[in-house]
Amino acid sequence: MILDVHAYIGKWPYWPLPCGSPADVVGIMDRCGIGGAVVSSTRGLFVNWPDGNRETAEAAAAHAGRLIAFATVGPPELSHALHACEFRFTESAPFRGIRLYPQYHTYHLLYEPFVDQVCEEAEARRWPVQLPLRVLMNWGMPMLDLGWMAALVERHPRVPWILTGLNYFHELRVGLALMRRFADVHLETSCIQGFQAIAKIVAECGSERLLFGSGLPLQNAAAGVSKIEHAAIRDADREAIFGGNARRLLDLRD
Amino acid sequence: MIDAHVHIGKSARLQIDASGEMLVQVADALGISRIFCTDLTALFYDMHEGNRLLYEEMRRFPDRIIGYASLPSARFGREALEELERCRQDYGMRGLKIYSTPEASIAEPAMIPILEKCVDLDFVVLAHTTPLECEYLMAAVPECRFLMAHAGGQPFAKGDWNRAIMAAKRFPNLYLETASSTIDTHFLETCVAELGPEKIIFGTDTPLLDPWVQLAKIRETAIDARARELILGGNIARLIGLAA
Repeated sequence: MILDVHAYIGKWPYWPLPCGSPADVVGIMDRCGIGGAVVSSTRGLFVNWPDGNRETAEAAAAHAGRLIAFATVGPPELSHALHACEFRFTESAPFRGIRLYPQYHTYHLLYEPFVDQVCEEAEARRWPVQLPLRVLMNWGMPMLDLGWMAALVERHPRVPWILTGLNYFHELRVGLALMRRFADVHLETSCIQGFQAIAKIVAECGSERLLFGSGLPLQNAAAGVSKIEHAAIRDADREAIFGGNARRLLDLRD
Repeated sequence: MIDAHVHIGKSARLQIDASGEMLVQVADALGISRIFCTDLTALFYDMHEGNRLLYEEMRRFPDRIIGYASLPSARFGREALEELERCRQDYGMRGLKIYSTPEASIAEPAMIPILEKCVDLDFVVLAHTTPLECEYLMAAVPECRFLMAHAGGQPFAKGDWNRAIMAAKRFPNLYLETASSTIDTHFLETCVAELGPEKIIFGTDTPLLDPWVQLAKIRETAIDARARELILGGNIARLIGLAA
């Protein structure tokens, strides 16, 4: 079963995108042969992350076994105090990981105390933390500073990181360098568009920490699947990238 | 299928070193019959040297490689015009490739005689450029058949393919070429709905980008078979007088 670690539900404010409801997303997954997808709501990017998390949790509950919820966490301002939010997971919490978006929530990744608090808790509980360099591979959309990403990983190297949205050239080189240095760093594929890039990553770092992601419904999920299907790698590596690695990281059963 | 956007040769910046043989092998794997190539040395360093290198590769693969003459800038005046003439008459090339950057934009008066020359030579123009630059150039030489490389999906154009569609709507001879890191959902469907399939040209940007992703971006979309055929080769074949 293909497991997608970079997907969304919700609306897209930049141009019409009539496919963001949880049912729409599951429909895209069905058409592309994707069995499960890690989602969070775009409401958490643009409106309010506690409300977005509630929407994400409801979607995951309504599509159990297909949608896996990651919580979006931002600065604890206004009414969003961390102690009041689902981010303090319990054994029964609906979320399996965390996403951070400083480029949308207007904070510095390295100088906000809540970020270190999140990382320390994630390290202790082995929660995956996803850092999207970008939400989709569109050059006009906000990007996280690559240097901030690297510095945060270096500061908290034992967090189970999922570095997301990297493309080619120096972006990929930084991701690979972090993978080589730190055993808990994983790389996600949705924006890796370089020529023979998947095969090069596997040759350099192995396939064990490479995770399939599509960016659906913002990106063409079938194109993302095609990239892994046609990569010049062993079938065992392909299976690991398509889901085995993510199931292990997220502690999911087949 | 015809791939209208392929790079041959060497570029330190793009980390590419691609021979014609390698590119033809990649095309074979994808089922692409012809590749429209631009030489990287000509595009970023020395037009005479690079275009001559491309000609040698065209001679090695005459049924597979079609050549774009490339210029590193619009500012070479008569020398550039003579080079285009040579590329058409002596090398049999069928188009011009040029790359606009913020530090050396092609949206300037020096580009106008180059586009006029392309009209005279029956060249199509593939330009790495922005919608705004296209509008300036097309207003000056509207009869030029102009392909906006990446359809706005490149850094200098801020990835804004919606803006690229608006520009292509204004000018009958402005086409959108599809190669890009961007694989936004509904990109192609929106292009076809707004412009018709006749104005969309398939390209992969091999060997910078993964061609399988670029092909899936065309195949895995909700457009009809005729539209897909036009985009995957029919349109560029029509523009340069080839069988697809």
